[in-house]
Formats: sequence, C-alpha cells, structure tokens
Amino acid sequence: MSVLLVLEQSGGKVSRLSWEALAAAHRLAPAQEITAVVIGAETDALAAEAAAKSVGKVVRVEHPLLKTYTADGYSKALHQLIQGQSPGQIVFPHTYQVRDYAPALACRMGQVLIGDVTGIADGPVFMRQLLQGRLNGSYRHSGNGPCFVSVQAGAFRADSVETQGNAAPAPIELFTPALDAAQIRTVPSEPFRESAQTVDLGSAQRIVSVGRGIKGAENLPLIEALAGALGAELAASRPICDNGWMPMERQVGSSGQTVAPKLYLAVGISGAIQHLVGMKGSQCIVAINKDPDAPIFEVADYGIAGDLFEVVPALTEAVKAAKQ
Amino acid sequence: MKIVVAIKQVPDRDAPVRIAADGKWIEERELQWAMNEPDAYALEEALQLKEKHGGEVIVLSAGPERVGSTIREALAKGADRAIHIVCDDLGAGAGGGLRNFDALGVARLLAEAIKPESPDLVLTGLQSEDLGLCQTGVILAELLGLPHATLILHVEKTDAGLKVKRELEEGWFQSIEMPLPAVLAMQSGGNKLRYATLMGIKRAKTKELRAVNAAELGVEAAPVATLEQISAPKKQKSTQMLGGSAKEAATALVEKLKTEARVL
Amino acid sequence: MPPSLPILAEPTLFSLPEMLLFTALVFTSAWLFWRRFGPILGRILQSKKDPDFHLFPIGKRVWDFAWEVLLQARVIRERPLAGVAHALVFWSFCVFGLVTLNHCAVVFGLGFLDPAGRVGRLYFDFAAIFAVGCAVGILGLLVRRFLVRPKWLGELSWGSGLVALLIFALMATYLAAFFVTTPGGAVQALWWVHTITLLAFLPLIPHTKHLHLVLSPFTVFLSRGSFAHIPPLSGDEDFGLVAGKDLTRLVSLQAYSCVECGRCMEHCPANATGKELNPKEIVLGLRGYLNEFGPQSEEALLGKYESQRAAFECTTCGACEFQCPVGIEHVPILVGLRRGAVNTGTWENDYGSKLFLALERGSNALGMSAAERDKFVEKSALPIFDGTQEYCLWLGCMGAYDPRGRQIVLALVRVMRHLGASFGVLRKEKCTGDPVRRLGNDLLFQQLAEANLEALTQNRVKKIITICPHCVRTIQEDWKEFGTPPEVEHHSEFLARFASQLPSVRDEKKIVFHDPCYLGRYRNVYDEPRQVAALAGELVEAPRSHERSFCCGAGGGLAFLGEETGERVSHVRVEELVATGADVVAAACPFCNTMFQDALAARGDSAPELMDIAQIAARGLPEDGT
Repeated sequence: MSVLLVLEQSGGKVSRLSWEALAAAHRLAPAQEITAVVIGAETDALAAEAAAKSVGKVVRVEHPLLKTYTADGYSKALHQLIQGQSPGQIVFPHTYQVRDYAPALACRMGQVLIGDVTGIADGPVFMRQLLQGRLNGSYRHSGNGPCFVSVQAGAFRADSVETQGNAAPAPIELFTPALDAAQIRTVPSEPFRESAQTVDLGSAQRIVSVGRGIKGAENLPLIEALAGALGAELAASRPICDNGWMPMERQVGSSGQTVAPKLYLAVGISGAIQHLVGMKGSQCIVAINKDPDAPIFEVADYGIAGDLFEVVPALTEAVKAAKQ
Repeated sequence: MKIVVAIKQVPDRDAPVRIAADGKWIEERELQWAMNEPDAYALEEALQLKEKHGGEVIVLSAGPERVGSTIREALAKGADRAIHIVCDDLGAGAGGGLRNFDALGVARLLAEAIKPESPDLVLTGLQSEDLGLCQTGVILAELLGLPHATLILHVEKTDAGLKVKRELEEGWFQSIEMPLPAVLAMQSGGNKLRYATLMGIKRAKTKELRAVNAAELGVEAAPVATLEQISAPKKQKSTQMLGGSAKEAATALVEKLKTEARVL
Repeated sequence: MPPSLPILAEPTLFSLPEMLLFTALVFTSAWLFWRRFGPILGRILQSKKDPDFHLFPIGKRVWDFAWEVLLQARVIRERPLAGVAHALVFWSFCVFGLVTLNHCAVVFGLGFLDPAGRVGRLYFDFAAIFAVGCAVGILGLLVRRFLVRPKWLGELSWGSGLVALLIFALMATYLAAFFVTTPGGAVQALWWVHTITLLAFLPLIPHTKHLHLVLSPFTVFLSRGSFAHIPPLSGDEDFGLVAGKDLTRLVSLQAYSCVECGRCMEHCPANATGKELNPKEIVLGLRGYLNEFGPQSEEALLGKYESQRAAFECTTCGACEFQCPVGIEHVPILVGLRRGAVNTGTWENDYGSKLFLALERGSNALGMSAAERDKFVEKSALPIFDGTQEYCLWLGCMGAYDPRGRQIVLALVRVMRHLGASFGVLRKEKCTGDPVRRLGNDLLFQQLAEANLEALTQNRVKKIITICPHCVRTIQEDWKEFGTPPEVEHHSEFLARFASQLPSVRDEKKIVFHDPCYLGRYRNVYDEPRQVAALAGELVEAPRSHERSFCCGAGGGLAFLGEETGERVSHVRVEELVATGADVVAAACPFCNTMFQDALAARGDSAPELMDIAQIAARGLPEDGT
C-alpha cells in the first residue's frame, strides 16, 4: 500500500520534523511507494529538496490561495489530491499546523487521525502516549479508506533518511487543486512575536537560574556567559533578588514567577521549596551545586556535584563547541 | 453571544493509574476525576466573553453519571446551563458505550447535541489530558460546517466576527480573523482560571442541567481507530549524576542534553 | 476616744426644690445617655443571631469574666504600668457602685450607709483608699495619653481627657468630704459638685471609647470562648462577612466594645512591617459601617470602611485577639471578611487562585504531583499505616514535599524508631485545608476536610502525630465542623514526653526558640518544645516570646501569596532572634522553618544555624536510628 507523506516547510526549507515523518513512513512502506507532498503557492525548491530524498515521487500541490496556510485551503487541496491517489496511509509531522487541519481532512473522508505517534510496530500498530505520558497506548486502524497518522517530534531519527539520498532525484508531479477564495473562511495575519517589554520567564524555552552559590554579584557574568551560549533567559532564586543582585521580576519561586521551560539549569541553588514550586514543571532540569546532598538534585534530571566556578565556564565552552 | 463549551472529565492528574484487567484502559474504580484543564481554559474564555458581551454559556459534556460533578463545577464557575450526553463508558448506552467511539464518533455525538442550539461560538480545549487526541474541536467544526482555529490564546469579538490570537511554534503568534459562527480549540494559559466558590456551587443547584441519552442522538459507534492495548512506560529514570572533572562533566552534560533530553 | 478613722461628711437634709432639681438632672443625664446608647444597643440586637452561640458550659465564661474583667489580668499582663493604673480605676468604680447608690439615696433620706456607723464608716474608708488609687491611676493614664502619647493610642481625644478629668473630680470631691469638718454649705456644695460630675460623666460614656465600660463585660462574658475560633456558616445564603446583614450580634457587640487601646495594632506583624492592615481599624471600620449603614444593610463591607487588601495581609497569628482586653475576636472577623470575598469570588489574586486551583485538582498546597510524595515515602522506607500502629504520622504538605520539611520528618522518624514508637504514614494524604480555611475558601476547605476525615476513618486512625502546628490546629479544631477527627499531637509534645530518654548533645551552644503562633497562642504549648530545644544547650529568650511571640509571616495562607509589601515579617523576626546572640535558632513548625531559612540566607554566612526541634532531638542518635 502506498504512503502519502505531507511535508511542511520552515523558512523556505522542508522542516526537520518532516524528515522525521519520512523516517516513520519508511516503517510503513518501501521508499518507492512513498509519495512526498509539498504544498504552497511556489513549491519548486521544496519539491527539489524532497526529490533528493528516498521517496518514490514528489507531488507539488500548488495554488496561489495556498500561499499562506489556512485550514480550509490545505484541507480542501489535500482532500482533492488524496481522492485521486487513494493511498493506504497518509503521514504528517505532528506540528501545530497539522493539528489544525489534519483532523478535519480525515473527518471529511470518514477517518480519524492517529496523532502524535511515537512508534510504529508491525501491523501496523501505532504507539502513542496517553495520560500525558503516564501510559502508552497502541492503536490500530480499521475499515476502508486511508489511515491518517501524525508523528511526534523526535520520535524518529531524521538523520537516518538523510543518508539515503537517491542517485537520481525522484520524479516531481504538479497538482493544481480547484480552490475558490470564497471557500477560505479565515484570514490569517503575518506571524509576529510578542514585544518583549518585560521579562517574560513564563514563556522562555531555556532558563539559567542562579542561587546563593554564586556568592556575589561580581560573579554573575559567569552565569550570563552560559545563558548567552545557550540562548537562555536569566533567572534567580529569592536571596539573589533580595540582595538586589538581580531584579525582582527575575525571581523564580512561590513569591516570584512560575516557569516551565524546556531546559532549566539551576546553578548554585540548593532547592528550597519556595524555589521548587516555581520551576518543577520544567521539562528538563539540570542542577549544578557543590553540595551533593542539596535537595535540588532530587528534582533534577541531570546533576553535576561540583564547584560552579569550575563547571560553569567549562559548560559554556562545551555548549559553544557543540554549536559549531 | 451564545457559546457552547465542550468539556471533558478526565482522570485527575494526581490519581494513581492502574491498567484494567482487559488491558485496554485503566481501572476506573476509585479513580478521582477532574475537568480537563484545557477545557477549563475554554470555559474561562467563554465566561469572559459573556461578561464582556452578554449572552449565554452552555456547557456540554458526554460520559457516564460521574461526569455530572464536572458539569456542576462548570455551572458553579458561571456557565448558565448544561447538556449532559449520558453515555456509559462500556456496555449499555449507544453503540455499546462511549469507549467504543473514536474521536470522530464522540465529535458526532457532540455535534448532534450542539446543532439544535445553533450557537454563535463553540469552544473546546485544545486536547484532553487522558487520550490527548487533540482533534475534537477541529472535527466538530468540520461536522458543523463552521470555520475553526486551534491553539487560541485570546478571543476578541469584532463587527465582522472574531479576531483570535493563535500560538505558533518557537514563540511566534498570528492573529486570525474569521466570521461567526465558528469553532475554537483553546490553548491553555491564555487566561487566568477562576477558582470555584461556595456561592457558585450553591447557585449552580438551580441551573438547568439537561440530560440527553446518547442513543437518542442517532450516532453509531463505528470506530476506524481503536485503542487495542495500553501499557506502562519503562520506569522513569532518576537523576543522572555526571562525574569526572569539570570539563568531562560539562561535555557529558551537553551530549545528554542534545541526544537524550533533546533540549539543545 | 482617740480619733481612729476619718469620717465622710454627708449632707443630711435636702429641700424639695433640691430633690426636684436632682431628679430632673438624673433624668436628663439618663436621657442623654440613652439617646446615644439606645441606637447602639439597637444595632447590636438587630444584627443577625450567632448561629453557633451556646451560653453553656457557663463555667468557662464565669472564669474568663472573673480573670479578665474582675481581676483585670489581661490588661495588667500586657501593659503592667498602664494596666495597674487602669485596674485601680476599674476596681474603684466597682467599689464606688455602693457609694454612688447611697450618694443618690440620701437626697430622699433613704441613705443606707451611715458615715458614722460601723459598717458605713468602714466601707467609706475602704472606698477612700480606692479613691486615692483611682485618682493616682487616672492621673497616670492622663499623663500617658497626653504627654507620653504612645502611637498605639491613636490621635489625641479630648473626650478621653474630659472623662479623665471628670473621674479625677469625682474622686477628689469624694475624698474632700473627709476633710470637711463643719456641717453646712461646704458639705452641700461638695455633694452637688460630685453629683453633677457624675451626671455629666454618664452621657459621655456612649459618646466616647468609655462605652467599653458598659459593653466589654458582656463582650468578654459572651465571647465565642475559644481562641481564633472560626464559626461555621449557616444556611444557603451565608458566605461569610459580605455585607451588614452578615454581621452577627457578637461581631457588632465587639465592634462597639473597642476601647482603641491599640494593643492589637502594637502586636500585629503586618502593621509592624508597614502593611496596610491595622486590626484596630478593622474593628473600628465595622463600627463605622454599622453607624452609617446599619446591621441589615446589603452594602458590601469591603469598601468604604474595610479594605480587602488589608484583610488579606493578616497572617492569622492571633496576637491581636490574644492581647485584646475587651474580648474582641479579630481572627474570626478577618477570616470572615476573607470568606465573604472568596466565597463570592470577588477576591482576585493570581497567587491565591493558583493555590485554590492546585488544591481543587491536586492534593497539596504546593501544587506538586502526589507522585513526589510517594517517591519520598518509598525512598525513606516509611512504613504504611495499617491500623496496627499507635501513631499515624501525618506528613502534611511541607513534610511530604518540602526538602527541609522532609528532613524534619526523617529526624522525627529516627527518634520514634529509637524510642520504639510504632507509626505509619497514609498512602494518600490531602492538605488539611489550613491555608484555604484561613483565606476563607469554605468550599475547598470542606472538600479537603471531608476527604481526609473519610481516609482517616477508613484507615482506622486513632492518633495522629505531625511536625506541623497548622495541621494540628486544622485537624483538631477546624475539621470538627464536618466530623470527629482523631486525637492529634504535635511532635514537640511527643518529644517532650520522652525527652529524658533522648541523648543530650550539649556543646556550649546558645539556643533561641521561636514560638510558632499555631503552637503557642493557638494550642498553649510553650514548655514542651523548649524542653526539647534545651537538649542542645542553653536556652535564651527572644524579647517577644511565648504568648507574645512574633509571627514568621507564613500563616493565614500568606506563605502562598507572593511578595509582601513593606518589610518582610520573616526578616524582622529573624533579626530579633539573631540579636539574642544565639548560635541556633530552634523552630517547631515547617512554615517557620522555611521562612527563616530564606531570611537567614539573605543575611549571609554569619547567620546562626536553623534547626527544628526534631532535628535537635535526633542529633545524638546514630544515623540508622537504632
């Protein structure tokens, strides 16, 4: 059974998550049975990029009304394409955009999206997380019609497909859907970022937070260098802000801000409860503290028990080295 | 504005879960239940819209009798009335219980209950905390033939309809304008949730709670995606202490952050 | 016959016009009194009945009345000098009851005390001693109020000055009558001056803070009787103190009883650290409200007369209520105002909402996952309570989730193991509801209390031990509204009982013990934790200790409410504790512990060591606890 893989672009290139989805598609079908779909108003470059990968074919779904993403536009265009192709499975990366239209597309065909898939077993059986990761569930598709699947970020290795480039690029076809401006009911604006008028630790992706272990305000540049290398926001525990070494709005904890970044790096913070309640929701917690019994290590995913004045500069260097 | 908010009752985040004997779902006895948090944000947005523009907020939930407590909580927080699609989890009820419905089936049930209300706006949470399917709102829009948007943090009523703020990846946002009626799947965190009050609970007693038997809605459970089995993930690892010299530990950490935690 | 005791000169004959004049003056004075007092009494009586009021058991009421009113013990203990002065005035007023009755009776020839007779002479001389005391006392109070002017007394009040002068005049005219030897005009004149002073004093009473003369004996006698007692809500329309209609008779009575002495304000940690809250103004605010809107009004209490912000700055430490000499119960009033705001949803506070939502959905006030508690229980190999052990060790939110609280629990566990006491922890525990109770969220509190009571019954728990005085209080007192809680004990009481079996590791350290509000004032436990703390060395006392202990700033849910305005209560208290020169600050409450941990950390490296008494008790034990 053939597989239709819907790629997504990011900054004019096919996104990494799309290649991860291709890796997942390889679990379902051999490369020649995979049709990669690029979608937009001008898709030549994307299509060329896709054609260099281990896919059987690339389809450019192109229409001026697809210039910017709309749920109506995308689901109508893809619906028309799928009807002509009748694939066995349709694979997407599980992105915000896919979540926005793929369920409607599936519904239009009497199907249900099996979303956020983390693994594919023979059958095929699709694994996904339940109860926010507390359990895993295995799903099976039944009945006629295509099976819609979206793949969780990071669940499949994108680098495994990148090495399989074909000697000759896959053939590229053009598909022009019949779209009418009146069918597109929503008007999206250009993406924007929030103007950063105040420190918004709440939405920061990475945070480097410093505690009393830093000893004095004169040592803060050490931490700033690490935060700079990581592209992280600076934060602090209460005593640091009490002493005026950092502004109060950077205080994390029960009397300050509650944060939930992807990475929270606690430097010289022992881990009093007031601090823990402010950062416990972080996805990955790293603690650096000279006291191996410090409570912060209880909540940390990774810990380094050592002198921060040695570890932090070394870490800054290691982060910089990894980026190159 | 007449707003329908679809809410779901889910197992409490803190409740310990055990896999049921059939291996298909969790043991529901002795489980504590709560309102799905993203739905709580949808309810909050609805209440704020009502406070600003007037109108009515109707909560809608499907499930067995226990769902009543979550519905009453929504009424206590300020919803005006409620529709409870009564449907057992298993066995009795339409098509053999709610668990035999997939996302499309459940959305069909909700859509059938919504249609006679002809609301101006339908709100749902972005996803549920139990199944996490993340699509009920979008399917509802498709079934009701309405425009939709997901990951919405803020809703503003305009002369032409709505202007909403949608979250994109990597800290980006966009605004979307759309006509009414419409369906929105709300992202958590856009508003501050209100707490339940004693007065709210007492007032809720007098509000209309209409029970609709799922069988009356004429929706067949014909699942195309079925949850066959559940399993516990491998035990979560505890703190990994990285030793060696400062340089070694730092290098090891960066490697772990890149490959294991994937946060770099 | 040697002249023994002086004799009071008393007019013997009054003319008819004098009788008529006297009668007219008495009625005028009484009318002037009633014109003001009648409406006040009306407002008190028109207030809502206290749903939970019981006159019985009456023994405690009589005792409190004797101790606080007749013996003036509370007045004296708090401010000895001014207290004694006040007591002298009070006692002489009591003694003068009979004198004044006789004084009026003689007008109509009905005098029953003969100044020359044995009884009369003895009584008048007895009264004269009090008159001297009263005169000295009132002069002292006058000097204090108008020259020393402590800030607690507020702005100068000329009414008070006038009353003081009148009292002085009463005493002076009484005493002068002993020195008038010739009968006639002088005696008559003294009598009239005394009478007119008396009749001028009477109407002044309800116009000034001296209203407490009339009301406070009732206030003390009728008080709810247990410290900081939060009364249950009654009926479907009671949400706490929302509007005038919610003010009960006791609250109104208390509002009018305030004597504006400012003891509450002097001891209030919020007031002392520059916050808006002033307990005296809270009470006077109620009085102002009642005067303007009346007791049945729908006008919101939080508004013109009461500030919501102030109401939510209270740590419920209870220092105000404990010190109040006229029986005003501040804590139920402050919590009542909060209840009114929270139960109706008018209190909007990000931190408060976060706390409430955490407890609506989760199990603990810290918003941690219950799995964290499970992990701690498992990792520390704490036995699970199965009904066979003597104690149910209640961890509480702090004991289960706070790293420091966990250390305290583990120290207690080591001691209990050493002593061979059997114990177990519950598999699941919810917050007792202390912070939400004090913040006025009755819905949430009821849910938590009921869930916990059910779990304890199911597990056949008979006796609870816990490191947290807030848990102790809430379980023992507040849960009563919803069931019968098991016996509960604070670890200080347990440890003190076995102190003789615990190793003392005295290493020449000076220890200052900080009395937690919820252990001291709320539970009257002062000596036990000191007994345990003394295991580590020599005890020193902070200037404010025992009943007068100064709060750490965490109570009343404030530990969860974000940054304070003004100075931090914890910092002020820590400065005081450090100033004692102690090497160790001993605490007996996980909230005090966590507040002081931060406050000491902010002081830098020179700070004394902070230890819970459980850690002191466990210090000499081998690590494995055997």
